[in-house]
Amino acid sequence: MTIHDSNGVGRRSFLKGAAAAGGMAVVTGPMLSRVALGQTRGGTLRAALLGFGVVNTLDPQKAGLNSDFFVLNTMFNSLVKFDGNMKIVPDLAESWTNPNPTTYEFKLRKGVKFHDGNEMTSDDVKFTIERVAAEATKSPNRAKFTVIDKIETPDKYAIRFVTKTPFVPLLSFFTNTTTGSQIISRKALEKMGDEAFGKAPVGTGAFKFKEWKPGEKVSFVAHKEYFEQGLPYLDAVDIPLIPEESSGITAILGGQIDIASTAPFADVPKLQQDPNITVSKMPGLNFRFIQLNIQKPPFDDVHFRRALSLATNREAIVAAALFGEGSPMWGATPPAIAWAYEKKPRELCVFNPERAKAELAKSKYKAGTEAQVITWGSSWWKRWTEIFVAQVNQVLGVKFTLDVMEPNAAFSRFRANDMQAQATGWIARVEADEYVPEIFRTDGSRNFNKYSNPEVDKLVDASRQEFDQAKRGELLKKAEDLVVEDMPMIFTMNNNAHNMWNKKVKGFVPLPSQSFGNQFPPVNLG
Amino acid sequence: MGFLWYLTIRIGGALATIAAGSFLIFLIMHLAPGDPALAVLGESATTETIAAYRAEHGLDEPVLVQFVIWAKMVLQGDLGKSIALAGKFPISDLLVTRLPNTIFIGLYGLVIALVISLIAGTAAALRQGKLVDTVATGVAVLGISMPDFWFSYVLILFFALSLDWFPSYGFTPPGESLIGAFHSGFLPALAIAAPMAGVFARILRASLVETARREYVTAARSYGFAAPFVFIHYVFRNAIIPFVTVLGLQVRYLLGGVVIIERVFGIAGMGSLIVDGAFARDYPVVQACALTFLAIVLSVNLIVDIVCALLDPRRTR
Repeated sequence: MTIHDSNGVGRRSFLKGAAAAGGMAVVTGPMLSRVALGQTRGGTLRAALLGFGVVNTLDPQKAGLNSDFFVLNTMFNSLVKFDGNMKIVPDLAESWTNPNPTTYEFKLRKGVKFHDGNEMTSDDVKFTIERVAAEATKSPNRAKFTVIDKIETPDKYAIRFVTKTPFVPLLSFFTNTTTGSQIISRKALEKMGDEAFGKAPVGTGAFKFKEWKPGEKVSFVAHKEYFEQGLPYLDAVDIPLIPEESSGITAILGGQIDIASTAPFADVPKLQQDPNITVSKMPGLNFRFIQLNIQKPPFDDVHFRRALSLATNREAIVAAALFGEGSPMWGATPPAIAWAYEKKPRELCVFNPERAKAELAKSKYKAGTEAQVITWGSSWWKRWTEIFVAQVNQVLGVKFTLDVMEPNAAFSRFRANDMQAQATGWIARVEADEYVPEIFRTDGSRNFNKYSNPEVDKLVDASRQEFDQAKRGELLKKAEDLVVEDMPMIFTMNNNAHNMWNKKVKGFVPLPSQSFGNQFPPVNLG
Repeated sequence: MGFLWYLTIRIGGALATIAAGSFLIFLIMHLAPGDPALAVLGESATTETIAAYRAEHGLDEPVLVQFVIWAKMVLQGDLGKSIALAGKFPISDLLVTRLPNTIFIGLYGLVIALVISLIAGTAAALRQGKLVDTVATGVAVLGISMPDFWFSYVLILFFALSLDWFPSYGFTPPGESLIGAFHSGFLPALAIAAPMAGVFARILRASLVETARREYVTAARSYGFAAPFVFIHYVFRNAIIPFVTVLGLQVRYLLGGVVIIERVFGIAGMGSLIVDGAFARDYPVVQACALTFLAIVLSVNLIVDIVCALLDPRRTR
């Protein structure tokens, strides 16, 4: 049984302390202050970033790593944000409208103060979004905003984005996640300059910057003038970086940290039994697959690719490599994006050795075909690739081998399509457009194996102009149907997203969007 | 004259080694596949942003040109800025926070290893073939053969999680609190000390046993000198020379080989800096660490040789 089968798509399944946390998921602004009455104030939350050793910059418009965003989100807000049900809700904007398909108009909250004391106005918003889209900024997220034609500020609290073509996904890119749209203080940036700002930035978030010890931790203190009344409860937040996941376990068990950004799959069952630790889990925003170089033999044959998919027992991989902490995938869109997720398993992605052999018979490549699958690491990542290779070798009689590399080198081979096959994946992507459209449209920004299907392109383009979410979801699913028929990669699995915290921590609300840093305002140390 | 000449040659050799070593590491790092731009820009990186990043950091120049630029900078006393690990932080700042932690833990471990090995090695040699010898030798083998990450977790489980005597994670730098550093650094120092103590104890034992059989020791005994006097003046002083040499060699391990221990205990040290730097392709950070390592190892070896030369004047003749 997988998470989404048993619990329904997108629903959180908490292990402990679930009811309290779950109930708060949709509580926003004014209601929170009512909840606030019984909260403990003060204290420092030690919130470890687990599995990361590097934070490269705290400048949202220059940041590219998930770890950068997990940390800098502590200090920033965006126009909008995701709630616990993956619905977009107000953040710095009070409301928004689309007067026509190429225009987004936002009304901003009044009286929001930056950490430097200046008021946040439409001028800062314009400056921020123009900055991320400017070539000179060299933002890795630039492409997300180049669709914007012009930005207008009718008044201090209103901002209007006019796009070149209708582009529905833009709203998601304005959230406080990993797209670099966190609103910065124009005055602070202009005073400090890019480099100094990247080390000590100024935002509107519940916590302001205190200290950054590279490779060790980043520290924050409460922003007294934070716009959400009565928040935050904490005096301070420390984010230590713990690259070794096992050390995260000893740290939380020994009381050296209070909460962690994730929990190692293998340790989840044990942690669940510990009365001092709460573990939350939900389907994560990620997608793991075996990328195939469809331009070269043997993966230039669709029958061969289908045979591989049919020979892959995804349940077995999830059980053995993820210790059950995930679910098989039959497309690219993860279950957490419920409205665009195909609930019914696609037959070509369901383990079927007989059909696999039948497809192999139609292929120009036979049993004994050799190929090298790149992977990296030593832990579950390498393990799942090993299982995949063993399965296809056993079912089809092919002779696939593993090439274990170092992640950076592997990623550059993946980008360049300089490989035969590689176990890889996309993580922390919150918008449906970042899956099927960006990966499979002919000119998609992450279409590295140069897949192309004009029908898919048409459906993707239609989806980008469809403001009705349900209809947009249908278009994306249809496009995904066609992609799966062509099988440009072996869609494999989605893994759960976890957080773990000790019993001192109250009010933490896990989110599928896992933005970490901006999940601390309602937290208190009860 | 002999000693000064010896010193001059050794220092000259050390400087040449540093120069050659830096160049080799530079070459290897740049020839290895991978790209700091990918480590910095993440999954969203586009071809344009990667090209812009490479141009900004001079990575589009030929490798030799890059080396000359780097070497010039270093000769002027500037180690540069981190390019991929901790964007734009001066590397000298990183070293200033990391090096004391590594040196503290290293020396702490070394002292623990010395104390254990001097006691165990001497006891085993004096009670050769007896129970003490068997136990000491057995424990030494255990110390050498236990994987350090495993031993670290055993220490944490027992002393931190069960007994709650020490923190299970994290290290207080000596600059913040010396007592805190000794307390939070004890388990990692012990984990580092275990294999060293094993090696030291065995070498000391072997060397003591061998020296005790020498003819001059027999002669000393036949003069009627007291056994403790013979042991200290005839046996121990001569037996300690190979021990000091091995001690010097272990410094390499203390600097770079303790990455796992730094990771497990959450110590911000040099080992994790160079490894994170290598993974992120942060060339200037790796170069700076390598330079520091080379300088330290060569200085320590030099000091060890000088100590040995003073212990055994024949060496400089």
